[in-house]
Amino acid sequence: MIDVKAKISSFFIFNSSFGPREGEELQRILYFYPSQTSADSQKMQVGLCEAVIKFMSTFSQKPCEALRTQTKKYIFYQPEKGYWMVLVVRIPYTTKAMSAIGESKGTDFVIPSVMFDLLKSSYKMFRMFRGLFKNFSIEEIYSVCDQFFTPYILSRNISNDVADVIQGINYLPLDKNSFFKVLCFIDLLELNYPQFKCISFIYNEQLIWNGLDTDDMLTLYQYLVQSLLPKEVEKEIHGGAVAAAQRHGRFIYPPEGNQEEKLMKVYLKREEDSEAKQYYLVVYRTMSATICLTVDVNVEVQPEMLRSLDAFIGPQLSTIASTIGEQCTIHALQTAQLLSEHKFVYFNRLNLAFKTSPSVTKLHPSTAVKPEVLSIIADIHTDKKRYVHLGNYGEIIIKTPDEYWITGKSSNDREFYVIIQEKNANLKEIADEVRRICETQMKGIFFYPM
Amino acid sequence: MARFRLKDSDEYYLALSEQPKRFDADSPVTNVFFDDSNGQVFTVRSGGVTGVTVTGMDKSKSTSFRMEDRGPIISIKFSPDLKILAIQRNQDNQNATVEFVNFKDLAPTNVEYSHTCKWKNAKILGFVWPKVNEITFITDHGIELLQVIPDKKQLKSLKNTSFSCAWFSWCSQSNIVLLAGNNGVLLQPFSLNNSTITKLQKLELEATRPVVERDVFTLRLCDATWCAIFRHAQSATVAAPGPTEVWLMPITGPSGFHYTHVLKTGLVGRFAVNVVDDLVVVHHQASQTSQVFDIMEQSKPENGCVIHIPVVGGVSLQPAALGDGPCAMYSDTWVVFQPHYIIDARLGCLWRVHLIPAGLAHSVPKDEISKIVAVLLRRTDGKDAIYRVLNQLVAEAGTYLVQLSDVFDEIHTVYRKWADLEMARNTAGQGAPADSSRGGGRPRVLISQAELCAHVLQQHSEAVHLVQVVTAYVASLARAGLVVQQAAAELAVRALVTRGAAARLRAMLRRAALQDARPLACALLSLGHLDPAAAQLALDMLYRLKGYEEVVEVLLSWDEPVAALGAARQAGLGTLPPRKLLQAARAHAQAHGRPTAFTAIYHALQARNERTRGSPHFLKGEQCDSYVEYYKQITAEPQ
Repeated sequence: MIDVKAKISSFFIFNSSFGPREGEELQRILYFYPSQTSADSQKMQVGLCEAVIKFMSTFSQKPCEALRTQTKKYIFYQPEKGYWMVLVVRIPYTTKAMSAIGESKGTDFVIPSVMFDLLKSSYKMFRMFRGLFKNFSIEEIYSVCDQFFTPYILSRNISNDVADVIQGINYLPLDKNSFFKVLCFIDLLELNYPQFKCISFIYNEQLIWNGLDTDDMLTLYQYLVQSLLPKEVEKEIHGGAVAAAQRHGRFIYPPEGNQEEKLMKVYLKREEDSEAKQYYLVVYRTMSATICLTVDVNVEVQPEMLRSLDAFIGPQLSTIASTIGEQCTIHALQTAQLLSEHKFVYFNRLNLAFKTSPSVTKLHPSTAVKPEVLSIIADIHTDKKRYVHLGNYGEIIIKTPDEYWITGKSSNDREFYVIIQEKNANLKEIADEVRRICETQMKGIFFYPM
Repeated sequence: MARFRLKDSDEYYLALSEQPKRFDADSPVTNVFFDDSNGQVFTVRSGGVTGVTVTGMDKSKSTSFRMEDRGPIISIKFSPDLKILAIQRNQDNQNATVEFVNFKDLAPTNVEYSHTCKWKNAKILGFVWPKVNEITFITDHGIELLQVIPDKKQLKSLKNTSFSCAWFSWCSQSNIVLLAGNNGVLLQPFSLNNSTITKLQKLELEATRPVVERDVFTLRLCDATWCAIFRHAQSATVAAPGPTEVWLMPITGPSGFHYTHVLKTGLVGRFAVNVVDDLVVVHHQASQTSQVFDIMEQSKPENGCVIHIPVVGGVSLQPAALGDGPCAMYSDTWVVFQPHYIIDARLGCLWRVHLIPAGLAHSVPKDEISKIVAVLLRRTDGKDAIYRVLNQLVAEAGTYLVQLSDVFDEIHTVYRKWADLEMARNTAGQGAPADSSRGGGRPRVLISQAELCAHVLQQHSEAVHLVQVVTAYVASLARAGLVVQQAAAELAVRALVTRGAAARLRAMLRRAALQDARPLACALLSLGHLDPAAAQLALDMLYRLKGYEEVVEVLLSWDEPVAALGAARQAGLGTLPPRKLLQAARAHAQAHGRPTAFTAIYHALQARNERTRGSPHFLKGEQCDSYVEYYKQITAEPQ
């Protein structure tokens, strides 16, 4: 678990070209967390990173990725040329004195790929809501970064979950007729309101439809599912839903559907477009269904427009939502029969579909994935280390010292992981079990045979 | 409400046949008779002395001849095979008699005879020919069915039934005669089929509202026989008389027709009724309009009644021309006969009324388009009009997407019903006879997926909203539970891919909205270079279809020789030529500088040889020598 306050030592963004001369070091620092860090300490940390990056560039064309010291790990990410984002986390270590008294912090560590993903998604989130770093002038950028990253960093709560190791989109499995209901409704919406674009449809936390480039969709999806919707669900639980249900649905953005000045701008790329464009974000919600729309910033969003949209979406969306609700219940009953005693994870690199075994974790906390296991999966997934390299096709079985068997399969741009806790199994039994799970859970999907 | 207007369509949905059959007009010396069974007009000049002309809609039923004038004629009709002419004359001093003349090649022979009905004092109200050589006299005492033996100049009584009757109505298509008794309160139908008289369920009317002869018709409609009655408002008691209704009461027919259908005309005055293509046409003289009703339309029965309003607002018949000038329409001299004849006795014209299907869609409220298409689906010539409606809806899909989707649903519902019946018929086996009379026959308009694609969707490859249209189409197929056939699937794939909606295509595939099929998988594979996700799904599909050989080929072409070997082994393809695999493996090894794939495959093939032939070596015919060399080369100890 990355407890932000305990784990993240610091997080900063710098651009060396902003204060090239000596004495201007502070100007290079666009953002620094925690902000109460003394200026000298900030300068020292940034200076160290600058130096390492510079030094490493003599050895490799590829930019430097990480630096590890005894107590800390630095992760570097250069999203735009010259702009570096750095995440510094404390890592467990033992000193002679500590090990002598048997104290160790070794069990609780952060997986590097998770850290890197955190950096990357924070940048993507920034890019979605604010745009590129380079589009801001030197005067603006400090305050823009501060306003954006401080709340973002504080709100991030990374648990030790597979969902944080493999960043994907949870798609709602839906029968074709219900799916067509959603799709035809979206078509109709687009035809009747041509100014609204990039319509996405989410039920609970599962995506049904999106009109965005998959990469951008992931960011928007993460924003909705991780930050916006939980807040709204909270509000609904506290009575807001009753009022909303009376009116079929309600706008989340813009709030109450009429305050123009509160319109949120986002940069998004549609599937058929080659470049990101700026849009206003409109989010509408009924029951458990959320519709996310965008309007070109050149279009003036008028209250009447939103009112008419409300009248159009509301009644239809609530019927669709209840149909989907019924389908979900049926589907839940069906999957209950397929319940696997072993945890598995499925990920499709092409559409970022992510699926895990029905979350038994809530009922049986003991089956939560152990950090060591997670770390192995993260390693296989990120494909960084040679010895677990799977490429486009392969299978690997790893046994941890404490009776976990982790199987990773990769084939046809898909990944499939199974975690089996079995002390006395042998390799063949595990391979057979994995094949069985794969066949029952991933029916109709072709994994290259071994 | 916005209205949909079908392009290049006229407002008229009914027309008279272009060239009326002309005959001598009614005059003091000429009498005109019409026989609706054979569709023949008889013009009798001077009682037949100066000639009788018979005019039918087709030439084979037309003739002319002379006969003696033996008194005023009441009724004159040919038998169905046109070999016997029956004439009923007004002869007050004689018994109820019908005269017969045998005909040969539409010319009279001199064989003449007559027959008197069994009730001596009865008055013959009319006679009908239910069948060749069978005639029925309808008298005020009852009906008598007789067999005519022309060679012997004799008639033989087959059956008779007593019934006190004032007038009757005859339906030649179903051979049902409806007798009116008890001053028009009781209507008793009899079936004259199978050389016998069968009494059918009587129709009883409210005693306070008896019917008169001119308000009752016997109709054949939708494979059933109906008694149609004009129910005029009781103007005597009500200050403002309500509009007239047409009641259709079932006499016989397939099950499912047991409700009385009430057609609301909303008009008062003089009416006449026709049946055209299973539509009830109600002509109204005062407003010069003809309304059409479709009793097959979806509506809920209430109190045993089904209420109908006209399919579209009443419009007049398409103005007809007579010679060079226009023809007077809805004139007083028009007489309407069943099922679809109109005669103007003064002008001497015989027309048939026919439907112009496109006219029904001339101007339709937006939300009734699908209803009109449903009506057109039940018409013999409705297909063309449906294509026109569809083509226009697709072209204007921005406005009509919802309606288009409804229209697709109508078409698919009809198709689905038919497909289910076919399925039931096939599973019932050859023994079960094709029971088409029970309404289970082929629907009037059946539009297959291939036809719809060819006539509609393929015409619109440039349409702005093609993606949405194709989605609506596939969605409608899914709702009807129909499998998307190859023609439609191909079109959907092409449309979605060319319009940059590949993600939509993949979403549909993932939800199994397009069924697995080899051609579809191949189409997706060919998109692989643009859209890797499509290829991924294609491979899954091939695997589900058990197309293992194709899977192996695909994997080889993707430079995945090891996976190909695995797939080949899993499918039990021991016959796969080793050369192919080794070739791919060597290419892979050389391209990536990783010979391990080659050695792995080489070893696996050797193991196979060992297993199947007892020796690890390749056969000569397998032409693997160069690969054996390559294997030796890469596994050789470095010098």
